[in-house]
Amino acid sequence: MIETICTYSGRDDLLVAYLYDEIETADRAAFSAHLSVCGRCTRELAALRGVRSTLSAWAPPEPRVVTNYEPRASSHEPRATSDEPRATNWHDIPGWAQVAAALLVLGVSAAIANVEVRRDASGWTLRTGWSKGGAPTAVAPAVAGNSSAPWRADLTALERRLRTEFQPSPARAVPAAAAANAMSDAELQRRVRAIISESERRQERELALRVAEVVKDVNAQRQADLVKIDRSLGFIQTSTYGEQMKQRELVNYLLKVSQKQ
Amino acid sequence: MFGSNRAEKVSAHSMTWSDEELVTRSIGGDPDSFNQLVLRWERPIYALAYRVIGREEDARDVCQETFLRAFRALNGFRGQAKFSSWLYRIALNLCRDWVRRERRTPVVQAPEDLDAFDLSAVREPMASVDDLVARRELTRIVERAMAKLPDDQRTAIILKEYHELTFQEIADLVGCPLSTVKTRLYQGLAVLRRELAKSES
Repeated sequence: MIETICTYSGRDDLLVAYLYDEIETADRAAFSAHLSVCGRCTRELAALRGVRSTLSAWAPPEPRVVTNYEPRASSHEPRATSDEPRATNWHDIPGWAQVAAALLVLGVSAAIANVEVRRDASGWTLRTGWSKGGAPTAVAPAVAGNSSAPWRADLTALERRLRTEFQPSPARAVPAAAAANAMSDAELQRRVRAIISESERRQERELALRVAEVVKDVNAQRQADLVKIDRSLGFIQTSTYGEQMKQRELVNYLLKVSQKQ
Repeated sequence: MFGSNRAEKVSAHSMTWSDEELVTRSIGGDPDSFNQLVLRWERPIYALAYRVIGREEDARDVCQETFLRAFRALNGFRGQAKFSSWLYRIALNLCRDWVRRERRTPVVQAPEDLDAFDLSAVREPMASVDDLVARRELTRIVERAMAKLPDDQRTAIILKEYHELTFQEIADLVGCPLSTVKTRLYQGLAVLRRELAKSES
């Protein structure tokens, strides 16, 4: 086996090509033969495979569900302004219900890019869910402005319903329309409950993970402390033994001297 | 968020069309085809941006901007390259702009909360807490090691390892000779090997 230096021509490139299995058949055969006699290349190939295996553990974080939905039409539309019909005081409604409402209206799954193209009689619309803004967003002609966006009507209706539901007055009469919506209300409650229980489960998992991390850190620290104590004890024992030996030699010397006298 | 609603709207048979067919249909006036392309490619583009930039929110912005730019420039896409390569190029350029704008090295940082954990939980709901802790630790180690790499080596490794592009595709994307791609990969992996060994010790 060749141990230290490998002079195989184009060795680094071939090693990478072999590693990723992106190599010409003839080159593969030749390099395979080389590997059988070159310890350095064999070891390096194994090490790089190990690196690749470790790299596979790196996953990007799952994007969070974002609820700050804002339509962006193709023209340079400004954000919603104060003269638009703002129905509401969202702070009167519990936070979880707002989140639940937003999820129901906007869809639960986490679309990452949050880009959607639509086309109707007035032309193309490009809608985005979030962005730091700045650049115009589409090439197509402008379409309906914010006030007529279909999601706004949905959101307003749902908001009205939620506000009715969370009215503090116990004497509140159930409107006929609400009764007619009993099924959808039940569905709404079911979904809200599901979201809450999922959130609780996630918090439990989070706590368990944190606790496990703390335990792991404490154990690591304990091990380190034990090693340190062990070393210190060893040092003390060595020093004590040395001192003892010196004392013994001194006593022997004194005895010898006293016997001579 | 458009999520599930949007997914439902995208017709089932459009799932089988190739990217290039969907592009042609989009140019021809079918909005669902472009939405299908977004659905198909948003995760890889987000993952690429996150690994290059290292910040979740900025990666999402880059992802969104990539599709906005792609949509605006769709008429100019002539099929001379694969649609995915074209998309990757837009995303990589945006990442470079981001790095230049922010004037900082794109050091990948672990998110503050439990995203890595969440992802693991989604993929493997039965994984034990110990496994998750170990995996998160490993993620941090990899992120620290990747942060040591020069930009060109990191980009090459990200495109090869996580997006499985060929050497030639990477060379075309980043605009360098094929042999340079191999060299960058070799050098990058050598650095990672050293850094990971340090972490182990």
